[in-house]
Amino acid sequence: MDKFVVNIIHRPEMVPEYSATVTGQGKEEDIGDKALLTESLDIFKTQQRLAHENGLKVTIQMTYASLFNAEAVEIAKHDHEEYGDEIALSLLGLPCEEFREKYKTKDFCIWMFSLEDKKTIVNDVFEKFHDIFGFYPESTGSYYMDADLTNYIKEKYPSVKCAVATCWEEGPKAYHTCNNSWYTLFDGGPWAPWIPSKQNTHAPAANEAEDSGIVAIPHLSRDLIACYDGNGSNFGTHPQNVLRGMIYDTKTWEYPYLYNLIDQYRSLEKYNNGYAYNMMFVGPGWMNKMGRWEAPYELLEKSYSDGCKYYGQLKKEGKLVDMTMSEFADYYRQKKSYTEPECALWRDILYGSDKQLFWYCDPYMRACVNMDQGGAIVDLRPYAAKLEWPVGIGTKHVQDASYPFLIQEKYRAGYFTHYAGEGTVRSAKLSYNGEEVDLCLCRTKAHFSQEGKTRILTLDPVTIEFRGLSVTLQTKEYFEEGSSSIKIERNILEMSDPNAEVYLNEYMVACYGTTEYPEDMTGITLKCEGSEEKTISYEYKCREESLEGADAVSAVIPAIETKVSLTASAPAEGYIKEGYAFSPMFTLGYKKRISDKEVFATWLNLEKAN
Amino acid sequence: MAQSGKGKLNYRCPSCFMRDLDIDMFYDKDKKEYHCIRCQYTGSEEDVLEKNEMIRFRYRAMYKRFDKFDFD
Repeated sequence: MDKFVVNIIHRPEMVPEYSATVTGQGKEEDIGDKALLTESLDIFKTQQRLAHENGLKVTIQMTYASLFNAEAVEIAKHDHEEYGDEIALSLLGLPCEEFREKYKTKDFCIWMFSLEDKKTIVNDVFEKFHDIFGFYPESTGSYYMDADLTNYIKEKYPSVKCAVATCWEEGPKAYHTCNNSWYTLFDGGPWAPWIPSKQNTHAPAANEAEDSGIVAIPHLSRDLIACYDGNGSNFGTHPQNVLRGMIYDTKTWEYPYLYNLIDQYRSLEKYNNGYAYNMMFVGPGWMNKMGRWEAPYELLEKSYSDGCKYYGQLKKEGKLVDMTMSEFADYYRQKKSYTEPECALWRDILYGSDKQLFWYCDPYMRACVNMDQGGAIVDLRPYAAKLEWPVGIGTKHVQDASYPFLIQEKYRAGYFTHYAGEGTVRSAKLSYNGEEVDLCLCRTKAHFSQEGKTRILTLDPVTIEFRGLSVTLQTKEYFEEGSSSIKIERNILEMSDPNAEVYLNEYMVACYGTTEYPEDMTGITLKCEGSEEKTISYEYKCREESLEGADAVSAVIPAIETKVSLTASAPAEGYIKEGYAFSPMFTLGYKKRISDKEVFATWLNLEKAN
Repeated sequence: MAQSGKGKLNYRCPSCFMRDLDIDMFYDKDKKEYHCIRCQYTGSEEDVLEKNEMIRFRYRAMYKRFDKFDFD
C-alpha cells in the first residue's frame, strides 16, 4: 500500500534562535529574560494546539533549557498521555543561563564542539532528561549530527533510534544568504530519511557493519530544484520559510506553493516502492509575536495553522500517516533495505519553467541528473569512499560538514564557463565535419521505470542539427542497486544520412571540494588503463594522454579517498586530461565513431581509494 | 542625527534579497526612510513594499496549484 508519512516536530526553546538577537535588537543581551521565556512557551503551546486540533501526533523534542522549565515538562507529559506524542530530546536549544554558566561558551551547535565537549554535553543533557522523565529518549537530533557524535550517543544511550541529522543543501548558499554569519555548512547529504553509516553521517550505510544504529531524517523536506539553486531556507515544508522567500500573495495571504511542495513530495512514492516522506519542524523563533521580517505575527500563525490543516486534511482523507520519530524509525527499518536507493524525479513548481531534475541516493553515491542539460550529471558525491570527516573544534573541519563533491555545477561552473577553462559536468559531445554540439544544450524530459533492482531514466529523444546532417539520439541512464556505477547509454535512433558517421565524446570534467573555492589538485593521479598504462600525476601542466581500446580511464583523488573511472561497452579511445591553474579540473572520457542505429554505453564507477 | 533603529516591521533590503541575501534594514526616523547597511539601498516603507512585489517576478508559478508532477 502506498504510504505518505509525516513527522511533525516541536521544540520548546526557551531562548529561540532569532528572538534574542534579531527582534531583541537595541536591548542588552539577557538570556534569562522572563518575558522571552513566557513568550517562547506560549509559541510552543500554540504549535501543540494547532497540530492536535488537526488530529496530528507530535514528536516533542525537549531542549536542554526546557528541562529546567516545569511548565514545559508538564505540557510534554500531558500531551504524551493525551495525544500519544513522543517525548524526545533535541540537541538544539542548548542556550540558557544554566548552559552558559556550566560550559562558559556561547557555542550552541553540537557538531561544532570538541569531541570531548560533545560527550560531556550529551551525558549532561541525556541524564538530565532521564532525571525528569524517568527514561532515556528514543529520538534526538540537531541541524547536523556528525558520525562521532551519533556513534557516541548510540553506544552510551542505545535506546536512541531516530535523529534529525542534516538539513538538505544547507551549506555555502545558506551561509551567503545570512551575510556569511550562519555557519551551517552541510551540503551533500540525503534529502529524505536514510540510515547513516558509522563513518560519515551523509553517506548511507551499505550493510549492517556500517549501520550507525539510527534512522536519520532531514531537517525539513526541501524543494529539490529551488534549494539547490538558491537560498535553501526559502523553499521547504516550513511555512514560515515560504514566507521568508516571499512566496505568498500579500493581499490574500495565500501560498499555493507550500501545498505544491507537500504534494510533490507525496508523488515521490512512485519512485520509492510506494513510500514517501515529509517532515515539518518549525522552531519557535519563527512564530514570534513581534513578527518576522515583513510578516506580522498573524501571518506567521496563519501559515503554521494552514500547514497543520493541510496535513490534517490529508490524514482524514486517508492519504497520510502521521508518526512520531521513533514510530517512523521502526517503520523505515521494516520498509527499506540498506541498498535500496532513494529516488526523486522532481519538477519545477515555482518558477514557471518545466525544468526537471532526477536525484538519486544510495550507499555509494548521491547524483543529480539535469534534464534541462540533456541528462547531464550536474552533482555527484562519491559516498563509496565513506569518507571519515570529523567536524568540530580540534578537527580539520571546525564547521564544514559537507560531503565533498566530484561534480557541482553551481560551485564549479558546470557546462558554461567564462572565457576559458571547463566546469564540472558529466555529459557528451557529438561532432561532425568540424561542428560540435554538447548534449547540455539539448533540453528534454525523463521518465522513470524500474527493472528488477535497476532504476532507469529514459529521456525523450533529442535532435542535433549539424550543417547537412541531423541526428536523433536517445539517452538512457541506469542506476543498478549496489553497483556503485551509473550506466549511460546513447542510442542513435535516426540520422538524416544513414551512411554518415559522427564522433561521440563521452566525458566527465571533475574536481573535488565542498565550497566554491578550488582545492589543491596536486597528488591526483589520472590513468588510461589497458594494454599499456598511461599516467599523469596532476601538476597543472595541461597535459593529455589517450589509449585506443582503453579498459578504463580513471582518477584517484587522495584527499577524498576516491577513485572514479569511466568504462565503455565497446572498444573506443579513452583519454585523460589534466587541467591548469585557471581551470583546476581533470577530464576523463571516451571518443568513438558512431553510426545510425548504433548503441554505445559508458559506466561511471566510484570506489574507495585508500 | 540620532541612531537608526528597527521599524514597526523588520524589513529586509529588497535589493539584497534579489541577490539571495537576507539583510535587515534600519529605520532613520529623521529622514523617514529605511536603509541597508550592506548596500546602497534607501527607501520609504511604500518603496520597500513596492520592491518586494517586484521581487516576485521570478516566481511565475507562485499562484498555480499543480496536480501533476511528471511529464508521463
